Amino acid sequence: MSSGGLQWWCSARGVPWTWSWQAYPGVWILIALVGALYARFAAARRLAVGVLAIVLCWIVLDWPVGPLGAGYLASVHVLQFLTLAVIAPHLFLLGASPERIASALERRPAVRRIVAFATQPLVAAIAFALVLVVTHAPPVVDRLMRLQAGAFLLDMSWLLSGLIFWWSVVIPVPQRPRFVPLLKVAYVFAGTQPHLYLAMWLMLAAFPVYGTFELAPRVTRVSALDDQQLAGGVMLTLGGLYILGVVTVLFFAWAHAAEQGGGDPRVA
Amino acid sequence: MSLPPIWSFRLRPVPVVAALVSAAACADTLPRSSPYRGEPLPAARPRPDFTLTDTRGAPYPFLAQTKGTLTLLMFGYTNCPDVCPVHMANIAAALHRLPYDVWSRTRVVFVTTDPERDTPEKLRAWLDGFDPSFVGLRGTPEEIHAAERLVGVAASVPEHTAPNGSYAVGHAAQVIAYTPDDSAHLVYPFGTRQTDWAHDLPLLVVVR
Repeated sequence: MSSGGLQWWCSARGVPWTWSWQAYPGVWILIALVGALYARFAAARRLAVGVLAIVLCWIVLDWPVGPLGAGYLASVHVLQFLTLAVIAPHLFLLGASPERIASALERRPAVRRIVAFATQPLVAAIAFALVLVVTHAPPVVDRLMRLQAGAFLLDMSWLLSGLIFWWSVVIPVPQRPRFVPLLKVAYVFAGTQPHLYLAMWLMLAAFPVYGTFELAPRVTRVSALDDQQLAGGVMLTLGGLYILGVVTVLFFAWAHAAEQGGGDPRVA
Repeated sequence: MSLPPIWSFRLRPVPVVAALVSAAACADTLPRSSPYRGEPLPAARPRPDFTLTDTRGAPYPFLAQTKGTLTLLMFGYTNCPDVCPVHMANIAAALHRLPYDVWSRTRVVFVTTDPERDTPEKLRAWLDGFDPSFVGLRGTPEEIHAAERLVGVAASVPEHTAPNGSYAVGHAAQVIAYTPDDSAHLVYPFGTRQTDWAHDLPLLVVVR
Protein backbone atom coordinates (compact mmCIF):
# COMPACT_ATOMS: atom_id res chain seq x y z
CA MET A 1 0.00 0.00 0.00
CA SER A 2 1.03 3.53 -0.57
CA SER A 3 -0.64 6.78 0.13
CA GLY A 4 -0.25 10.41 -0.77
CA GLY A 5 2.04 11.99 -3.36
CA LEU A 6 1.49 12.92 -6.97
CA GLN A 7 0.74 10.06 -9.30
CA TRP A 8 1.48 10.39 -12.99
CA TRP A 9 -0.59 7.33 -13.95
CA CYS A 10 -3.52 5.57 -12.29
CA SER A 11 -2.56 2.46 -10.35
CA ALA A 12 -3.89 0.39 -7.47
CA ARG A 13 -2.92 2.22 -4.28
CA GLY A 14 -4.84 0.25 -1.68
CA VAL A 15 -6.07 3.38 0.06
CA PRO A 16 -9.74 4.13 0.71
CA TRP A 17 -11.50 5.72 -2.24
CA THR A 18 -12.50 9.36 -2.01
CA TRP A 19 -14.33 11.51 -4.51
CA SER A 20 -11.59 14.13 -4.32
CA TRP A 21 -10.20 15.03 -7.71
CA GLN A 22 -6.65 13.99 -8.36
CA ALA A 23 -4.31 15.02 -11.14
CA TYR A 24 -2.70 12.42 -13.40
CA PRO A 25 -0.26 14.43 -15.52
CA GLY A 26 0.93 11.35 -17.40
CA VAL A 27 -2.56 10.92 -18.82
CA TRP A 28 -2.68 14.53 -20.00
CA ILE A 29 0.73 14.26 -21.64
CA LEU A 30 -0.25 11.05 -23.39
CA ILE A 31 -3.55 12.47 -24.61
CA ALA A 32 -1.79 15.61 -25.87
CA LEU A 33 0.82 13.50 -27.68
CA VAL A 34 -1.80 11.23 -29.21
CA GLY A 35 -3.81 14.26 -30.30
CA ALA A 36 -0.80 15.89 -31.90
CA LEU A 37 0.20 12.68 -33.65
CA TYR A 38 -3.33 11.94 -34.75
CA ALA A 39 -3.72 15.39 -36.29
CA ARG A 40 -1.18 14.34 -38.91
CA PHE A 41 -3.23 11.34 -39.98
CA ALA A 42 -6.81 12.40 -39.38
CA ALA A 43 -9.19 12.54 -42.31
CA ALA A 44 -10.76 15.99 -42.43
CA ARG A 45 -14.24 14.63 -43.14
CA ARG A 46 -14.09 12.14 -40.26
CA LEU A 47 -12.34 14.30 -37.71
CA ALA A 48 -15.19 13.91 -35.22
CA VAL A 49 -14.64 10.15 -35.11
CA GLY A 50 -11.00 10.57 -34.22
CA VAL A 51 -11.77 13.24 -31.66
CA LEU A 52 -14.33 10.91 -30.10
CA ALA A 53 -11.65 8.23 -29.79
CA ILE A 54 -9.29 10.65 -28.04
CA VAL A 55 -12.03 11.84 -25.70
CA LEU A 56 -12.97 8.26 -24.84
CA CYS A 57 -9.35 7.44 -24.05
CA TRP A 58 -9.09 10.50 -21.87
CA ILE A 59 -12.26 9.64 -19.99
CA VAL A 60 -11.21 6.09 -19.17
CA LEU A 61 -7.63 6.97 -18.24
CA ASP A 62 -8.17 10.07 -16.14
CA TRP A 63 -9.90 10.64 -12.79
CA PRO A 64 -12.30 9.21 -11.71
CA VAL A 65 -12.65 6.32 -14.17
CA GLY A 66 -8.90 5.72 -14.37
CA PRO A 67 -8.19 5.15 -10.67
CA LEU A 68 -11.48 3.33 -10.12
CA GLY A 69 -10.61 0.85 -12.84
CA ALA A 70 -6.99 0.57 -11.80
CA GLY A 71 -7.51 -0.31 -8.19
CA TYR A 72 -11.10 -0.58 -7.03
CA LEU A 73 -13.68 -2.02 -9.40
CA ALA A 74 -13.21 -4.85 -11.87
CA SER A 75 -16.30 -3.70 -13.75
CA VAL A 76 -14.70 -0.32 -14.43
CA HIS A 77 -11.43 -2.03 -15.32
CA VAL A 78 -13.25 -4.00 -18.02
CA LEU A 79 -14.86 -0.81 -19.27
CA GLN A 80 -11.39 0.66 -19.65
CA PHE A 81 -10.23 -2.44 -21.45
CA LEU A 82 -13.11 -2.39 -23.92
CA THR A 83 -12.54 1.28 -24.63
CA LEU A 84 -8.78 1.08 -25.03
CA ALA A 85 -8.52 -2.28 -26.81
CA VAL A 86 -11.69 -2.41 -28.86
CA ILE A 87 -13.63 0.82 -29.31
CA ALA A 88 -11.03 3.61 -29.35
CA PRO A 89 -8.56 1.89 -31.73
CA HIS A 90 -11.38 1.15 -34.15
CA LEU A 91 -12.55 4.76 -34.02
CA PHE A 92 -8.98 6.05 -34.37
CA LEU A 93 -8.55 4.10 -37.57
CA LEU A 94 -12.00 4.98 -38.90
CA GLY A 95 -11.17 8.63 -38.46
CA ALA A 96 -7.75 8.34 -40.10
CA SER A 97 -6.92 9.06 -43.71
CA PRO A 98 -5.49 6.00 -45.50
CA GLU A 99 -3.83 8.27 -48.00
CA ARG A 100 -1.97 10.16 -45.29
CA ILE A 101 -0.99 6.90 -43.62
CA ALA A 102 0.21 5.43 -46.92
CA SER A 103 2.19 8.55 -47.64
CA ALA A 104 3.84 8.50 -44.21
CA LEU A 105 4.70 4.82 -44.53
CA GLU A 106 6.18 5.37 -47.99
CA ARG A 107 8.73 7.69 -46.44
CA ARG A 108 9.65 5.13 -43.79
CA PRO A 109 10.23 1.71 -45.38
CA ALA A 110 11.32 0.08 -42.12
CA VAL A 111 8.15 1.14 -40.34
CA ARG A 112 6.11 0.07 -43.36
CA ARG A 113 7.61 -3.42 -43.17
CA ILE A 114 6.81 -3.69 -39.45
CA VAL A 115 3.26 -2.44 -40.00
CA ALA A 116 2.76 -4.79 -42.93
CA PHE A 117 3.86 -7.75 -40.84
CA ALA A 118 2.07 -6.85 -37.61
CA THR A 119 -1.22 -6.11 -39.32
CA GLN A 120 -1.42 -9.37 -41.25
CA PRO A 121 -4.77 -10.73 -40.10
CA LEU A 122 -3.40 -13.95 -38.62
CA VAL A 123 -0.56 -12.19 -36.82
CA ALA A 124 -2.86 -9.43 -35.59
CA ALA A 125 -5.50 -11.85 -34.33
CA ILE A 126 -2.92 -13.89 -32.45
CA ALA A 127 -1.33 -10.78 -30.96
CA PHE A 128 -4.73 -9.43 -29.95
CA ALA A 129 -5.67 -12.69 -28.25
CA LEU A 130 -2.27 -13.02 -26.58
CA VAL A 131 -2.45 -9.52 -25.14
CA LEU A 132 -5.97 -10.22 -23.92
CA VAL A 133 -4.96 -13.43 -22.18
CA VAL A 134 -1.69 -12.18 -20.71
CA THR A 135 -3.06 -8.85 -19.50
CA HIS A 136 -5.98 -10.56 -17.77
CA ALA A 137 -3.97 -13.29 -16.06
CA PRO A 138 -4.45 -12.69 -12.32
CA PRO A 139 -0.72 -12.76 -11.42
CA VAL A 140 0.01 -10.21 -14.14
CA VAL A 141 -2.87 -7.93 -13.18
CA ASP A 142 -2.15 -8.13 -9.46
CA ARG A 143 1.54 -7.39 -9.90
CA LEU A 144 1.35 -4.71 -12.59
CA MET A 145 -1.65 -2.75 -11.37
CA ARG A 146 0.16 -1.85 -8.17
CA LEU A 147 2.79 0.01 -10.17
CA GLN A 148 2.16 3.12 -12.20
CA ALA A 149 4.52 1.88 -14.90
CA GLY A 150 2.81 -1.51 -14.83
CA ALA A 151 -0.65 -0.02 -15.21
CA PHE A 152 0.67 2.19 -18.02
CA LEU A 153 2.10 -0.89 -19.73
CA LEU A 154 -1.25 -2.69 -19.56
CA ASP A 155 -3.16 0.31 -20.91
CA MET A 156 -0.74 0.83 -23.79
CA SER A 157 -0.63 -2.86 -24.67
CA TRP A 158 -4.42 -2.79 -24.99
CA LEU A 159 -4.37 0.28 -27.22
CA LEU A 160 -1.57 -1.03 -29.42
CA SER A 161 -3.05 -4.51 -29.79
CA GLY A 162 -6.39 -2.93 -30.68
CA LEU A 163 -4.81 -0.78 -33.37
CA ILE A 164 -3.06 -3.81 -34.82
CA PHE A 165 -6.24 -5.87 -34.73
CA TRP A 166 -8.47 -3.33 -36.43
CA TRP A 167 -5.89 -2.09 -38.95
CA SER A 168 -6.45 -4.71 -41.63
CA VAL A 169 -10.22 -4.30 -41.32
CA VAL A 170 -10.24 -0.54 -41.66
CA ILE A 171 -7.01 0.66 -43.30
CA PRO A 172 -6.24 -0.69 -46.80
CA VAL A 173 -2.50 -0.15 -46.36
CA PRO A 174 -0.89 -2.35 -47.45
CA GLN A 175 -3.45 -3.67 -49.92
CA ARG A 176 -4.69 -7.18 -49.12
CA PRO A 177 -6.89 -8.14 -52.08
CA ARG A 178 -7.56 -11.61 -50.71
CA PHE A 179 -8.83 -10.24 -47.42
CA VAL A 180 -12.35 -9.84 -48.78
CA PRO A 181 -15.19 -8.33 -46.69
CA LEU A 182 -16.67 -11.67 -45.75
CA LEU A 183 -13.27 -12.76 -44.48
CA LYS A 184 -13.15 -9.55 -42.47
CA VAL A 185 -16.44 -10.46 -40.87
CA ALA A 186 -15.07 -13.89 -39.98
CA TYR A 187 -11.81 -12.29 -38.75
CA VAL A 188 -13.56 -9.85 -36.43
CA PHE A 189 -15.87 -12.54 -35.16
CA ALA A 190 -13.11 -15.09 -34.56
CA GLY A 191 -10.62 -12.55 -33.25
CA THR A 192 -12.96 -11.43 -30.51
CA GLN A 193 -13.99 -14.90 -29.36
CA PRO A 194 -11.40 -14.92 -26.55
CA HIS A 195 -13.28 -11.96 -25.07
CA LEU A 196 -16.34 -14.13 -24.81
CA TYR A 197 -14.43 -16.79 -22.87
CA LEU A 198 -12.85 -14.20 -20.61
CA ALA A 199 -16.28 -12.71 -19.90
CA MET A 200 -17.72 -16.12 -19.09
CA TRP A 201 -14.77 -16.91 -16.83
CA LEU A 202 -15.31 -13.69 -14.90
CA MET A 203 -19.02 -14.34 -14.60
CA LEU A 204 -18.77 -17.96 -13.52
CA ALA A 205 -15.76 -17.93 -11.18
CA ALA A 206 -16.69 -19.00 -7.66
CA PHE A 207 -14.34 -16.47 -6.06
CA PRO A 208 -12.82 -13.15 -7.10
CA VAL A 209 -9.90 -13.88 -9.38
CA TYR A 210 -8.01 -10.60 -8.92
CA GLY A 211 -6.56 -9.77 -5.52
CA THR A 212 -6.31 -6.14 -6.63
CA PHE A 213 -10.08 -5.74 -6.62
CA GLU A 214 -10.88 -8.29 -3.92
CA LEU A 215 -8.66 -6.61 -1.34
CA ALA A 216 -9.39 -3.03 -2.38
CA PRO A 217 -11.36 -0.88 0.04
CA ARG A 218 -14.95 -1.06 -1.16
CA VAL A 219 -16.26 1.88 -3.12
CA THR A 220 -19.85 0.68 -3.17
CA ARG A 221 -21.87 -1.92 -1.31
CA VAL A 222 -21.36 -4.30 -4.23
CA SER A 223 -19.21 -7.25 -3.19
CA ALA A 224 -15.99 -8.12 -4.97
CA LEU A 225 -17.57 -11.19 -6.54
CA ASP A 226 -20.66 -9.31 -7.72
CA ASP A 227 -18.42 -6.62 -9.16
CA GLN A 228 -16.45 -9.28 -11.01
CA GLN A 229 -19.63 -10.81 -12.39
CA LEU A 230 -20.72 -7.36 -13.47
CA ALA A 231 -17.35 -7.00 -15.20
CA GLY A 232 -18.00 -10.19 -17.13
CA GLY A 233 -21.46 -8.93 -18.01
CA VAL A 234 -20.10 -5.61 -19.24
CA MET A 235 -17.58 -7.37 -21.42
CA LEU A 236 -20.19 -9.74 -22.76
CA THR A 237 -22.89 -7.17 -23.48
CA LEU A 238 -21.07 -3.95 -24.30
CA GLY A 239 -18.19 -5.68 -26.07
CA GLY A 240 -20.52 -8.12 -27.76
CA LEU A 241 -22.87 -5.41 -28.95
CA TYR A 242 -20.04 -3.33 -30.36
CA ILE A 243 -18.56 -6.29 -32.24
CA LEU A 244 -22.01 -7.32 -33.44
CA GLY A 245 -22.57 -3.77 -34.68
CA VAL A 246 -19.27 -3.75 -36.56
CA VAL A 247 -19.89 -7.17 -38.08
CA THR A 248 -23.40 -6.16 -39.13
CA VAL A 249 -22.21 -2.95 -40.77
CA LEU A 250 -19.40 -4.82 -42.50
CA PHE A 251 -21.78 -7.42 -43.80
CA PHE A 252 -24.43 -5.07 -45.11
CA ALA A 253 -21.87 -2.72 -46.60
CA TRP A 254 -20.40 -5.66 -48.45
CA ALA A 255 -23.84 -6.80 -49.58
CA HIS A 256 -24.69 -3.30 -50.78
CA ALA A 257 -21.39 -2.95 -52.60
CA ALA A 258 -21.85 -6.36 -54.19
CA GLU A 259 -25.28 -5.31 -55.47
CA GLN A 260 -23.78 -2.17 -56.92
CA GLY A 261 -20.94 -4.21 -58.37
CA GLY A 262 -18.44 -2.23 -56.34
CA GLY A 263 -15.36 -3.28 -54.44
CA ASP A 264 -14.41 -3.24 -50.79
CA PRO A 265 -16.31 -0.53 -48.97
CA ARG A 266 -14.48 1.14 -46.08
CA VAL A 267 -17.30 1.63 -43.74
CA ALA A 268 -16.73 -0.34 -40.57
CA MET B 1 -0.25 -14.57 31.09
CA SER B 2 0.97 -11.60 29.09
CA LEU B 3 2.16 -12.45 25.63
CA PRO B 4 4.15 -10.26 23.26
CA PRO B 5 2.17 -8.75 20.37
CA ILE B 6 1.80 -10.82 17.28
CA TRP B 7 3.24 -8.80 14.38
CA SER B 8 1.29 -6.52 12.26
CA PHE B 9 0.04 -3.14 13.19
CA ARG B 10 -1.78 -1.54 10.31
CA LEU B 11 0.14 0.77 8.00
CA ARG B 12 3.31 0.80 10.04
CA PRO B 13 6.76 -0.35 9.03
CA VAL B 14 7.44 -2.24 12.25
CA PRO B 15 5.11 -5.15 11.49
CA VAL B 16 6.73 -5.74 8.12
CA VAL B 17 10.10 -6.15 9.74
CA ALA B 18 8.55 -8.16 12.55
CA ALA B 19 6.73 -10.39 10.10
CA LEU B 20 9.92 -11.01 8.18
CA VAL B 21 11.78 -11.79 11.36
CA SER B 22 8.95 -14.06 12.49
CA ALA B 23 8.88 -15.77 9.13
CA ALA B 24 12.60 -16.31 9.32
CA ALA B 25 12.22 -17.70 12.81
CA CYS B 26 9.38 -19.94 11.71
CA ALA B 27 11.49 -21.31 8.93
CA ASP B 28 13.63 -23.16 11.42
CA THR B 29 10.85 -24.51 13.59
CA LEU B 30 8.00 -25.36 11.22
CA PRO B 31 7.69 -27.64 8.23
CA ARG B 32 8.36 -25.68 5.06
CA SER B 33 5.39 -27.18 3.28
CA SER B 34 2.51 -26.15 5.50
CA PRO B 35 -0.83 -27.43 4.26
CA TYR B 36 -2.34 -24.09 5.30
CA ARG B 37 -2.30 -20.73 3.62
CA GLY B 38 -2.40 -18.82 6.87
CA GLU B 39 0.82 -17.72 8.50
CA PRO B 40 2.00 -20.22 11.12
CA LEU B 41 2.77 -18.94 14.59
CA PRO B 42 6.15 -19.86 16.03
CA ALA B 43 4.35 -21.59 18.87
CA ALA B 44 0.71 -22.44 19.47
CA ARG B 45 -1.17 -19.92 21.61
CA PRO B 46 -3.90 -21.07 23.98
CA ARG B 47 -7.45 -19.86 23.49
CA PRO B 48 -7.66 -16.81 25.77
CA ASP B 49 -10.06 -16.38 28.62
CA PHE B 50 -11.63 -12.93 28.56
CA THR B 51 -15.16 -11.69 28.94
CA LEU B 52 -16.66 -8.84 26.94
CA THR B 53 -20.22 -7.82 26.14
CA ASP B 54 -22.08 -8.96 23.05
CA THR B 55 -24.39 -6.79 20.94
CA ARG B 56 -27.42 -7.86 23.00
CA GLY B 57 -25.72 -6.54 26.10
CA ALA B 58 -25.05 -9.97 27.58
CA PRO B 59 -21.66 -11.05 28.93
CA TYR B 60 -19.70 -13.14 26.45
CA PRO B 61 -17.02 -15.30 28.06
CA PHE B 62 -14.91 -15.98 25.00
CA LEU B 63 -13.29 -19.20 26.20
CA ALA B 64 -16.50 -20.79 27.45
CA GLN B 65 -18.57 -19.70 24.45
CA THR B 66 -16.15 -20.82 21.78
CA LYS B 67 -14.39 -23.76 23.41
CA GLY B 68 -13.77 -26.66 21.04
CA THR B 69 -14.87 -24.78 17.92
CA LEU B 70 -13.01 -23.16 15.08
CA THR B 71 -13.08 -19.48 16.00
CA LEU B 72 -11.83 -16.61 13.89
CA LEU B 73 -11.08 -13.61 16.09
CA MET B 74 -10.43 -10.10 14.90
CA PHE B 75 -10.02 -6.73 16.56
CA GLY B 76 -11.23 -3.78 14.50
CA TYR B 77 -13.92 -1.15 14.15
CA THR B 78 -16.88 -0.49 11.91
CA ASN B 79 -15.58 2.85 10.60
CA CYS B 80 -12.42 1.13 9.40
CA PRO B 81 -12.15 2.07 5.73
CA ASP B 82 -10.18 -0.88 4.48
CA VAL B 83 -8.85 -3.81 6.54
CA CYS B 84 -11.90 -4.71 8.65
CA PRO B 85 -14.63 -4.67 5.99
CA VAL B 86 -12.43 -6.52 3.51
CA HIS B 87 -11.48 -9.20 6.05
CA MET B 88 -15.09 -9.67 7.19
CA ALA B 89 -16.44 -9.68 3.64
CA ASN B 90 -13.89 -12.24 2.50
CA ILE B 91 -14.50 -14.55 5.46
CA ALA B 92 -18.26 -14.32 4.96
CA ALA B 93 -18.02 -14.89 1.22
CA ALA B 94 -15.80 -17.94 1.69
CA LEU B 95 -18.02 -19.38 4.42
CA HIS B 96 -21.10 -18.98 2.26
CA ARG B 97 -19.42 -21.05 -0.45
CA LEU B 98 -18.37 -23.85 1.89
CA PRO B 99 -20.47 -26.85 2.91
CA TYR B 100 -22.89 -26.24 5.75
CA ASP B 101 -20.89 -28.62 7.90
CA VAL B 102 -17.90 -26.24 7.80
CA TRP B 103 -19.94 -23.06 8.00
CA SER B 104 -21.96 -24.19 10.99
CA ARG B 105 -18.84 -25.22 12.89
CA THR B 106 -17.02 -21.92 12.38
CA ARG B 107 -17.45 -18.95 14.72
CA VAL B 108 -16.43 -15.45 13.76
CA VAL B 109 -15.90 -13.04 16.63
CA PHE B 110 -15.25 -9.36 16.01
CA VAL B 111 -14.12 -7.20 18.92
CA THR B 112 -14.55 -3.49 18.38
CA THR B 113 -11.57 -1.31 19.17
CA ASP B 114 -13.76 1.77 18.94
CA PRO B 115 -16.45 1.19 21.58
CA GLU B 116 -17.34 4.87 21.70
CA ARG B 117 -18.68 4.99 18.14
CA ASP B 118 -19.49 1.30 17.75
CA THR B 119 -22.72 1.15 19.69
CA PRO B 120 -24.28 -2.30 20.04
CA GLU B 121 -26.83 -1.42 17.34
CA LYS B 122 -24.23 -0.10 14.94
CA LEU B 123 -21.92 -3.05 15.49
CA ARG B 124 -24.78 -5.51 15.02
CA ALA B 125 -26.00 -3.81 11.84
CA TRP B 126 -22.47 -3.74 10.43
CA LEU B 127 -21.85 -7.42 11.14
CA ASP B 128 -25.29 -8.38 9.81
CA GLY B 129 -24.16 -6.89 6.51
CA PHE B 130 -21.67 -9.75 6.31
CA ASP B 131 -23.35 -12.54 8.22
CA PRO B 132 -25.90 -12.43 11.05
CA SER B 133 -24.07 -15.25 12.83
CA PHE B 134 -20.93 -13.15 13.33
CA VAL B 135 -20.50 -12.23 16.98
CA GLY B 136 -19.75 -8.62 17.90
CA LEU B 137 -18.13 -7.80 21.22
CA ARG B 138 -17.70 -4.54 23.08
CA GLY B 139 -16.15 -3.43 26.31
CA THR B 140 -14.45 -0.52 27.96
CA PRO B 141 -11.13 0.50 26.42
CA GLU B 142 -9.39 -1.11 29.38
CA GLU B 143 -11.26 -4.39 28.88
CA ILE B 144 -10.47 -4.38 25.18
CA HIS B 145 -6.80 -3.67 25.79
CA ALA B 146 -6.71 -6.50 28.31
CA ALA B 147 -8.24 -8.84 25.73
CA GLU B 148 -5.71 -7.70 23.13
CA ARG B 149 -2.90 -8.44 25.56
CA LEU B 150 -4.27 -11.91 26.27
CA VAL B 151 -4.64 -12.66 22.57
CA GLY B 152 -1.18 -11.30 21.89
CA VAL B 153 -1.90 -8.54 19.41
CA ALA B 154 -0.76 -4.95 19.54
CA ALA B 155 -2.96 -2.60 21.53
CA SER B 156 -5.32 -0.47 19.46
CA VAL B 157 -4.86 3.30 19.53
CA PRO B 158 -6.90 6.20 18.15
CA GLU B 159 -4.98 8.19 15.54
CA HIS B 160 -5.37 10.86 12.84
CA THR B 161 -8.06 12.95 14.50
CA ALA B 162 -9.62 15.16 11.83
CA PRO B 163 -10.88 18.73 12.41
CA ASN B 164 -14.46 17.45 12.33
CA GLY B 165 -13.70 15.08 15.20
CA SER B 166 -13.62 11.88 13.17
CA TYR B 167 -10.65 9.63 13.76
CA ALA B 168 -9.10 6.36 12.71
CA VAL B 169 -8.09 3.60 15.08
CA GLY B 170 -4.84 1.77 14.62
CA HIS B 171 -5.38 -1.91 15.31
CA ALA B 172 -3.99 -5.35 14.61
CA ALA B 173 -4.79 -6.28 11.02
CA GLN B 174 -4.72 -10.05 11.33
CA VAL B 175 -7.40 -12.61 12.07
CA ILE B 176 -6.41 -15.21 14.65
CA ALA B 177 -7.72 -18.71 14.07
CA TYR B 178 -8.41 -20.80 17.18
CA THR B 179 -8.89 -24.40 16.18
CA PRO B 180 -11.00 -27.03 18.01
CA ASP B 181 -7.91 -28.01 20.04
CA ASP B 182 -8.33 -24.59 21.71
CA SER B 183 -5.09 -23.22 20.35
CA ALA B 184 -4.12 -20.72 17.68
CA HIS B 185 -1.58 -22.10 15.27
CA LEU B 186 -2.15 -19.66 12.43
CA VAL B 187 -2.94 -16.04 11.80
CA TYR B 188 -4.34 -14.51 8.63
CA PRO B 189 -2.89 -11.11 7.80
CA PHE B 190 -4.54 -8.51 5.63
CA GLY B 191 -4.25 -9.77 2.06
CA THR B 192 -5.79 -13.15 2.81
CA ARG B 193 -7.99 -14.01 -0.16
CA GLN B 194 -11.36 -15.74 -0.24
CA THR B 195 -9.70 -18.71 -1.89
CA ASP B 196 -7.28 -18.91 1.04
CA TRP B 197 -10.15 -19.05 3.52
CA ALA B 198 -12.00 -21.57 1.40
CA HIS B 199 -8.88 -23.69 1.35
CA ASP B 200 -8.02 -23.49 5.04
CA LEU B 201 -11.36 -23.47 6.87
CA PRO B 202 -12.33 -27.06 6.00
CA LEU B 203 -8.90 -28.13 7.26
CA LEU B 204 -9.01 -26.04 10.42
CA VAL B 205 -12.47 -27.12 11.46
CA VAL B 206 -11.26 -30.67 12.04
CA VAL B 207 -7.98 -29.93 13.81
CA ARG B 208 -7.82 -31.95 17.01
